[in-house]
Amino acid sequence: MLAKTKSYALNGVDGYEVSIEVDLNAGLPSYDMVGLADTAIKESKERVRSAIKNSLYTYPIRKITINLAPAYTKKEGSHFDLPIALGILVASEEIVSKTYKDYIILGELSLDGSINHIKGVMPLVISAVQKGYKKFILPAKNAKEASYISGIEVYAFDKLKEVVDFLTGEIQAQPLQTSEFVSMQSLNKYNVDLSEVKGQFVAKRALEIAVAGGHNLLMIGPPGAGKTMMAKCVPTIMPDMTFEEAIEVTKIHSIAGILDSSIGIVASRPFRTPHHTATIPALMGGGSNARPGEISLAHNGVLFLDEMPEYQRRTLETLRQPLEDGVAVVSRAKHTLEYPARFMLVASMNPCPCGNLGSKSKECKCSPSEIHRYVSKLSGPLLDRIDLQVEVDGISYEEFSDAAPSESSASVRARVEKARGIQRARYASSTTKTNDEMTNAEVRKYCKLDSVGEALLKNGFTRLNLTARASSRVLKVARTIADLDGSEDVSAHHIAEAIQYRSLDRKYWD
Amino acid sequence: MKYDNDTKALIMLSTVEGYKARRKKFDQVERPAELYDDYSIADRMIEDMDKFGVRVMTILDDDYPPQLKSIYDPPLTLYYIGDKNLLSQENLLGVVGTRRVTAYGKNIMQNFLPVFIDSGLVIVSGLARGVDSIGHRFCVDKGKATIGVVANGLDICYPPENERLQEQVSKVGVLVSEYPIKTKPLQFHFPERNRIISGLSKGIFIPEAGDKSGSLITADDAVEQGRELFVVPGSIFSTASVGCNKKIKELQATIALTPEDVLETLGYDAKKTEKEVVQLSLEEQALINLMGSEKIHLYALMEKSGLNIAALSSELSRLEIMGVIRKQQGNYYEVIPSM
Repeated sequence: MLAKTKSYALNGVDGYEVSIEVDLNAGLPSYDMVGLADTAIKESKERVRSAIKNSLYTYPIRKITINLAPAYTKKEGSHFDLPIALGILVASEEIVSKTYKDYIILGELSLDGSINHIKGVMPLVISAVQKGYKKFILPAKNAKEASYISGIEVYAFDKLKEVVDFLTGEIQAQPLQTSEFVSMQSLNKYNVDLSEVKGQFVAKRALEIAVAGGHNLLMIGPPGAGKTMMAKCVPTIMPDMTFEEAIEVTKIHSIAGILDSSIGIVASRPFRTPHHTATIPALMGGGSNARPGEISLAHNGVLFLDEMPEYQRRTLETLRQPLEDGVAVVSRAKHTLEYPARFMLVASMNPCPCGNLGSKSKECKCSPSEIHRYVSKLSGPLLDRIDLQVEVDGISYEEFSDAAPSESSASVRARVEKARGIQRARYASSTTKTNDEMTNAEVRKYCKLDSVGEALLKNGFTRLNLTARASSRVLKVARTIADLDGSEDVSAHHIAEAIQYRSLDRKYWD
Repeated sequence: MKYDNDTKALIMLSTVEGYKARRKKFDQVERPAELYDDYSIADRMIEDMDKFGVRVMTILDDDYPPQLKSIYDPPLTLYYIGDKNLLSQENLLGVVGTRRVTAYGKNIMQNFLPVFIDSGLVIVSGLARGVDSIGHRFCVDKGKATIGVVANGLDICYPPENERLQEQVSKVGVLVSEYPIKTKPLQFHFPERNRIISGLSKGIFIPEAGDKSGSLITADDAVEQGRELFVVPGSIFSTASVGCNKKIKELQATIALTPEDVLETLGYDAKKTEKEVVQLSLEEQALINLMGSEKIHLYALMEKSGLNIAALSSELSRLEIMGVIRKQQGNYYEVIPSM
């Protein structure tokens, strides 16, 4: 008899249906699998046999042929174990089930017949739902993750035997209860707060502006100034993730296998800090077993590049396209993958290789050419995409004042959300979401300057040697400052403040 | 371009490393043309020079700068791009100094250079980092002629970040080198280059120079060649001014406290330069007063002024754009002193 079970496979973050056909033929006992399966799937042979045997069913001593259709796509992962085992049981007429074809079945088997946790449940289920499938059989260990998707029936099991009993009608099972999405603010999982950062008014103000307008940020300062600490605070002042955003993030984290299965959803904005030795595939995604890179894991959150010039230049340059388009495209000879990658880039660097340039207490020992080489590691086009460049102070605020109470993340976030609200209203009819994403036409439309502002901008460029490309950047940042101000128009003092946050454009390094 | 055989011979001779070696060969013969029989190398070099717009003049030419001819070791060839007539002018002032300029040095340049230029002096310098670049850029920005003397072939740019500046100098003024094209900037070329800067100039002005600054070699050359040497004294604690102060101690230099000190010695009338009158509002003036004369950190200023970070950043930008203050590294600000 021929049995067909249904399962799903992933290509990037999107899934497609895979039909698993099991046929038993006369001939010497064997187990053949066709349909471009990777090693993990091919090895299912041993798991499936032991799991069937140890669940006290009979494994057919026949020539077994398994086809994964469509046959021309490369399939990865271990979640085909369960549908294959069920297919074999049905095909050998060991069990009789009328309902098994109604379900999308995902699960990895253990030798003892229990069902293991698998990767990528969220994106697999969501793509199947979009195709109209409503019934799923999943590992119990992935139940939480699937429970956030409403309008479907999910049955989660721990053992192969339970699945068989359920499909043959021997036991009844209840579909999973849908979980309510609770955003992170109520759980308060962030263990840092902006109030812990003393002083650093410039950097903190820049953080606020950057988050409010979705701008990228570069912090320049000596080692130990607190750049990393402030970067970690960025998610705490970002607006709460909506359910849709959380689902997008969860899909990616699920594929990468870093999802906390006890929570089942990523409810706090991701904060990713790839090391500076990171390779291009690690950052962009890809590899022989396609895996989302750091920039995709930072989707809807923050990608923090500490000591940015220490990264390989080639690696940094690959960031340019995702920064522009919000997707990471991984092209390989045989296939192209796309992972979403809309993140806020926060980067830090020392003012020079030794870190003491401009310091009052320590002398910088770097030669001008060393400094030039260090700074020029960041190419113009890349810097062009970083709107705010501010200096972080190496000195403690106590030098000037007895610790004044610092503002908490919550109150900064309130202002950020207000500014984001203004932007949402403004860009209601556009694909633009934040000021950072404004097109040139929108910049002209929404950043109109009066004559005073116009003159200020013009003089600013000649006097401060600002590069020409900084112009629209300054305007966008000024727009955000005006939004934070609750001001309809961008006026001269908004422009003036925005210019103050373009540190790298100035030629200190002369 | 067509050149006579003497010039071609000198072009070929200029590929010999070391001034002494070149000079020795040059002095052996009556006419340089006697040095070589085959000029095909020179022809090829001239072809390459034409591609880059490089011309050459030799010590035998009538338009060779007379003041340069009078030094002990005048270059036999001068490759140039731009207006060669500038080289023979008498109003040339060399401005050289440290590659690592401090705010003090920048302030000096900002106060002295406009007066020099407006009084009719043309700035000669070496297109190095620091003082040299600032001097050239100042002239280029104002569209004033300037002379850049480099230590490599004119098709090469050193330091690389000055590529644009080098091109601009050749447009508004003239770019000069003793070395044929494709010559790399070797270490010993720099002191050789320095003697040309001082040789062309009537005087050498050093705003800031450290202990081992190359500009001190130019200073020694200037003294040897009988040029005027002007230095601006600096703090005895500042490593960037050690060189200048040493020259003062050795009584080799004229102390320049004002641009007029330089101009008078060179026999120029200091033209009253029209200073830009900056109209400050009461608030702006108040902020300037708060800042005082030393550099001040942003937070100290926040505390003194009572302004929040947004308002203060905005004010500081305006003042900076007006050219009244300067931002320094590490969120420090400083009022630009004017004389």
